[in-house]
Amino acid sequence: MKILALIFMLSGFFFTLVAALGVLRFPDFYTRLHASGKGDTLGIGLSIFGLALYHGFSLISLKLLFIVIFIFLANPIGTHAICRAAYRSGLRPWMRKEE
Amino acid sequence: MNTKVKVEYKTEKMPVFKHFCMIFIVLFCFWSILSGHFDFKHLSIGAVTSLIVAWITLPLLCIPSTTTKGTYFMAFSLPIIKLVRYGIWLLVEVVKANIHVALLVLNPKMPIDPYIVTFNKEMSNPIAHAALANSITLTPGTITVDVVEGEYIVHAITKEHGYSLAPDKGEGDMPVRIAKLFNEQEILAKRWQDVDL
Repeated sequence: MKILALIFMLSGFFFTLVAALGVLRFPDFYTRLHASGKGDTLGIGLSIFGLALYHGFSLISLKLLFIVIFIFLANPIGTHAICRAAYRSGLRPWMRKEE
Repeated sequence: MNTKVKVEYKTEKMPVFKHFCMIFIVLFCFWSILSGHFDFKHLSIGAVTSLIVAWITLPLLCIPSTTTKGTYFMAFSLPIIKLVRYGIWLLVEVVKANIHVALLVLNPKMPIDPYIVTFNKEMSNPIAHAALANSITLTPGTITVDVVEGEYIVHAITKEHGYSLAPDKGEGDMPVRIAKLFNEQEILAKRWQDVDL
């Protein structure tokens, strides 16, 4: 059980790290949102799920599962709100030049 | 024609009490899990609080339909088994999306080709629109930028992802799944029947 929890947590950390790298490497605002919006959701979700597994079945792990559910509901809404604000203020998305 | 429509509204309004009970049960379970004490004092306080909160939020959770006037959707009266099945499918898609984004980030050439795709999906339930927009943001290479009256503006990170969501002919996989989940086909078909009469 502990090994399984460790695997979940490590993969969560990996996805969060990749999201941070993506925010640094991608060329413009919208593509960076791709990295942060997806990477954070699964990264944080997996780490917290790993913590819940590590603790075993109890009320605390149930509360942790609630946090995972709320993150999965709230994170895309936040990403979408930022994205829409950028779109409405007239930010042009980066396109690849060569056809 | 009018009488038929009125009868349908009545059947729509019937499950208000069931909806109230549903909100109460969900809130009460949430309270008990958060409090962690199962003695009489805490449970009774929780029951009274959830009753009051359910009574206050009942009108807020009856969401008016976007296409038919006078019809309302209940936020909690969703088909739970279908919802769980859809959630599992979505979870698999989210994991695939993350592996894909990780591959894009770690690839030194970074083979991205972003563009904006628009498609139209008519649905009468606002909750269905919210669910579709959220699912698009979570799944491979696409982010919902804006939704204006069923017109979706989506930012896709490569051409293939845009095509998988909005192909040239027909509809993508995800809008069809969402429409099935919320029984949109039947509701819209019923509306066109009323118009024809």
